[in-house]
Amino acid sequence: MLDQPIIRVCLVVGSLITAIFVLRRVRLAKVQIEDTLFWLLFSAVLLVLAIFPGIAYWAANLLGFQSPINFVYIVIIFLLLAQQFFTSIRLSQLDSKVRILTERVALNEEKVEREKLDL
Amino acid sequence: MSKLLIVIPAYNEEANIARVVNHLITNYPQYDYVVINDGSRDKTAAVCRAAGFHLIDLPVNLGLAGAFQTGLRYAAENGYDCAMQLDADGQHRPEYIAPMLAELEDGADIVIGSRFLTVKKPKTLRMLGSYIISWSIRLTTGRAICDPTSGMRMFNRAMVEEFAQNLNYGPEPDTISYLIKNGAVVKECQVKMGERVAGQSYLNLWNSVQYMIKMSISILLIQWFRKRDTETPYPERSL
Repeated sequence: MLDQPIIRVCLVVGSLITAIFVLRRVRLAKVQIEDTLFWLLFSAVLLVLAIFPGIAYWAANLLGFQSPINFVYIVIIFLLLAQQFFTSIRLSQLDSKVRILTERVALNEEKVEREKLDL
Repeated sequence: MSKLLIVIPAYNEEANIARVVNHLITNYPQYDYVVINDGSRDKTAAVCRAAGFHLIDLPVNLGLAGAFQTGLRYAAENGYDCAMQLDADGQHRPEYIAPMLAELEDGADIVIGSRFLTVKKPKTLRMLGSYIISWSIRLTTGRAICDPTSGMRMFNRAMVEEFAQNLNYGPEPDTISYLIKNGAVVKECQVKMGERVAGQSYLNLWNSVQYMIKMSISILLIQWFRKRDTETPYPERSL
């Protein structure tokens, strides 16, 4: 399937759209630069696989896949799963930070109110 | 003389913070300072409170960029003319503040306390990263920054406000390269740095490699696409 030009064109287009979209967000200062690195690397990987299908042929042969396109799918799935994993960890850390901050704000508020009553 | 605020970000520095701040207070009482405790897990905040240091205690860990930004917001809100970063581990020596301040008043936006302006940068593995970043900045801006990874940086009022209000303004070499590209005047000033006396450095091999990759991609690729906008308010802005 990877020998058909259309799928390679799709990969190139997908990779360029990803890169453009991410860089636009950077331009508008809507995203932190460290969060864009994954997506830029992801789009670079897609681009390399589309331009040099030989890599996919070689790897599919090495790993015993029936078709080189399966290797491309595996790479995409793996990268997205890895990203999902790190996103969940970040989310969980954010969760705990919000909890700590909320508690802090409430405790401070209580302190202020108590001091007001004492006066 | 300009009113200078020294921002001292501290993360798990209970072993160093008292020595560093006491040295500053005793020998350089003319400068204001503030310690930003970045949600340390050790007794950094307790040590500062016990000694009566000027402290801003972040309830959660934000990382260096967030801690330093807190200090710059404090500087912006309290009418300081300039601000600088001084590491809590004692590597940055306060005797170089005066020459850096003189450079800043001479018409610079940012002054970097540089270890390698007049001294040759050693060709060691540890300095490889510094070489790569210097080279990236040279390539993208045409300007030579001899010590881009030095954390000892001083900012004028305009920079303080810009750093305090915006996203993607970490105190890192990529921001410096971006600002040079946008016309900021960045000068360097030769300093000597000490070695960390106590405690653990955050920089191990893996962290350094990650940092290098991040900085290189950011300087060489991403900074081209940024748009400098000092007019439109972002949601992050609240000054």
